[in-house]
Amino acid sequence: MFTVIVSGLAIGMLYAAVALVYNVMFSTSKVLSVTTGHIAMLGGVFGAWFMTGLHLHWIVGLAGALAVGALFGGLTELLAIRRVLNRSDEHLWLLSTLALATMVQQAVGLWWGTEPKPFPRLIDQSFGAGALDQKFWLPIALAVLMAVGLELFYHRTMFGKLFLAMSEDAFAARARGVSTDRIRFLSYVLSGALGGLAGFAAGQLTFAYFALGLTLTLNGFIALAVGGLGSNVGALIGGAALGLLNAFASHWFGGSYQQTIAVGLLMVVLLLKPEGLLGSKNVRPV
Amino acid sequence: MKVHWSKLVIGAFFSSCLMAASGSAVAQPVKIGWLSSLTGPLSSAAIAENQGVQLAVEEINKSGGILGRQIELLTRDTAGDPTKAVNFAQQLAFSDKVQFVIGPVNSGEALATTPILARAGVPNIVIGAIDELVDATKYPRAFRAINTNLQWISTANNYATGSLKKTKVAIIADTSGYGTASARSAEQLLEKAGIKPVYSVLVDPNKTDLSDEMNKAKAAGADVVMPWSAATGLLGRLLNARGDMGWNVPVVGHPALMAAQIRKLLNKPEYWDNTFAAGYQSTTYGTDGKLPERTQALVDKVRGKLGGGEIDVLFWWIALGYDTVKIIEYAAKTAGSTDPAAIQKVLENTKDFRGVYTNYTWGPTERNGFPDANMAMNAASTFKDGSFKPAPR
Repeated sequence: MFTVIVSGLAIGMLYAAVALVYNVMFSTSKVLSVTTGHIAMLGGVFGAWFMTGLHLHWIVGLAGALAVGALFGGLTELLAIRRVLNRSDEHLWLLSTLALATMVQQAVGLWWGTEPKPFPRLIDQSFGAGALDQKFWLPIALAVLMAVGLELFYHRTMFGKLFLAMSEDAFAARARGVSTDRIRFLSYVLSGALGGLAGFAAGQLTFAYFALGLTLTLNGFIALAVGGLGSNVGALIGGAALGLLNAFASHWFGGSYQQTIAVGLLMVVLLLKPEGLLGSKNVRPV
Repeated sequence: MKVHWSKLVIGAFFSSCLMAASGSAVAQPVKIGWLSSLTGPLSSAAIAENQGVQLAVEEINKSGGILGRQIELLTRDTAGDPTKAVNFAQQLAFSDKVQFVIGPVNSGEALATTPILARAGVPNIVIGAIDELVDATKYPRAFRAINTNLQWISTANNYATGSLKKTKVAIIADTSGYGTASARSAEQLLEKAGIKPVYSVLVDPNKTDLSDEMNKAKAAGADVVMPWSAATGLLGRLLNARGDMGWNVPVVGHPALMAAQIRKLLNKPEYWDNTFAAGYQSTTYGTDGKLPERTQALVDKVRGKLGGGEIDVLFWWIALGYDTVKIIEYAAKTAGSTDPAAIQKVLENTKDFRGVYTNYTWGPTERNGFPDANMAMNAASTFKDGSFKPAPR
C-alpha cells in the first residue's frame, strides 16, 4: 500500500509542478497556455539527450533542460501570446498556444522518435529501493521546493512584487510605470525554466517521451482547478489529490475506471466548491 | 488506285494517336498506395516496414518492373490517426486510382479503411493483426499477410502452459482496444485449456509504475506473467518492476516484449532474461546459429543499405514490408494484368507463395495467409540483428 501512495503522490506532484507553472504564467497574462505540459516534456527529453546523447554530467543536463524550458517559455510568450493579447480580448490564445504545442510535439517526435526513451539515474542508488526510489521522491521534493520558492519570490523580491502587481491590476501597474510586456515575458521565461525543471526531475518516472505534453497540460490544469487558480498551496493539494485518486482507483478497480473515477470525484469537488479548494471567490491569482 | 492526300494525312494522324495511346498504356506505372504511420505513436514498426517496402520496389523497378511497368509507390503518412488513414485511403482509391493498397500499419486504422477499400474494389494487402480485419464475404479483396492476433496469443499460451508447464497465469493488458480484446481472447483460450488466470488486470498504457500490479500477481501465486500490450513504455516498466522486486517469474507474451526499445528502457540488461514472446521461424536462429537462407539474404541487403551496422529493429517488420510488394508482383505477373478481379482470383488460389517473412497460402474463403507452422517462441534477451534464438523447451 505504501508503494501505491508514493507512486500516486509522485505523479500527482508532477501535475502539481505543472499547475505551479500555470500559476506563474497566469499571474501576468491571465492566459492558461496549452504549451505548459509541453515545457515539462521538453525538460525530460532534452535532459535525457544532454546526458545520454551528449554524455554530459547531470548538472550540465539540468542546466540545459532549464535553458531549453526558459527558451520555449519565452517563445510561447512572443509567438502565441503577445500579439493575440494586444489585438483581441477573446480567448484566441487557446488556439495559438494549442498550435504551438502541436508544432513542438510533432517536431520533437520527428527528431527524438516516437517511442519512450530512458532517462538516466541522477543519484547513485540501488534499483531495489522500492518506494524510496529517487524516481518517486525527486518530483515530490521538487514540487514542494517550487511552491516554497515561488512564495518567497513573490513576497521577498522586487520582480515577484511586480508579478503580484500585474496579477492584481495590469492597467494600474502600467499606469505606475511597470513595463507590463517585459514583466509578462520574464514570467514566461521563469515558468519555462520551472517547467523544464519539473520534466527533468520526473524524467525517471515518465521516461523521455514526446507525447507526454498534452497529458501533463490536462492533468496540470485539473490539479490547478481543484486546488484553486492562483494558489500555490492549492496546486500542491490538487496535484496530490489527483495523483492519489488515480493510484487508488487503479489499485481497487483497475485501469479501466482509473481516469473516470479520479476525474469524476474531482468534478464533485468543483461542483461543491467551484473556486477550487483554496481559491478565493474574489480571485487574486498569483 | 488513286488515294487523295488528305485521306493519307487523316489516316496517319489516327494511326499515330493509336500508337501513342497503346504506347502510353505500356508505360503506365503500377500504382501502389502505402498507408504507413511513419510519424506519431507506434511509428517504429511502420518505419521498419517502410524499409522493406522501399527495398522491394527498388529491386523490382531495377529488374524491369511488373509486366514491363514501373512501380509508382504513393506513400501516405497517417501518423497513426484513423481519420487521416480514412482520408488517405479515399484519396488513393478514388483520386489517385491506385491498383493496390498496402496497410495501414495499425489495426485501429485498418478497421476504418478496409471497408472503404473494399467498396472501391481495390486489392488490399492487410498488415494489421486483429481478427476482424479480414472477411472473404465483406472484404473479398483484402488479403492478410501478417499473422493474426489469435496466432500470437495461442502460441504464447501454448508455450507458457505446455513447454514451461505453468498453470498459475497472471494477465496484465493495457486499456487500449487492442489490449482489452487480447486479454479477453487470452483468458478464453486459457479457460478452454482448463486454466483460469489467478490474476487479470487492465492498466493505463501510460501508468508510470507497475509495482502494484506485479505485487498483486505475486501475491495471487502467479508462476507466469503474460502481458498483452504493444506499448513499449508499459512493457519496460513491467520488466523493471519484476527486476526491482527480485521476482524471477517468466514473462511470456506480445512480440513487442522483444523490441530493441525495451532493452534501452530496462534498469539493468539482465531484466530482459526469462522473457519470451511469440515470434517467427523466419527470424529465429537455428541450432547452427544461422538464420533461414532467405532471411539472411535480406538481412545482408538491408545491412548494406544501413551502412553495415547492427540492425536494431525487429527484422520481421522489414521482412513483412518487403513481402507485401513481392506478393503484389507475384499476383500481377500470374494474373497477367492488374485487373482487380484477376488479382483476387490469383491470390485466393495461392498456395505456399515463398516470401521471406513466411510462405503464404490463401483460399476462396480464407483471407489469412500466415500458416500456424511458421510461428515460433523466442527468448527476448538473445536479440541480434532483429532476430532471436528459440525459447528453451
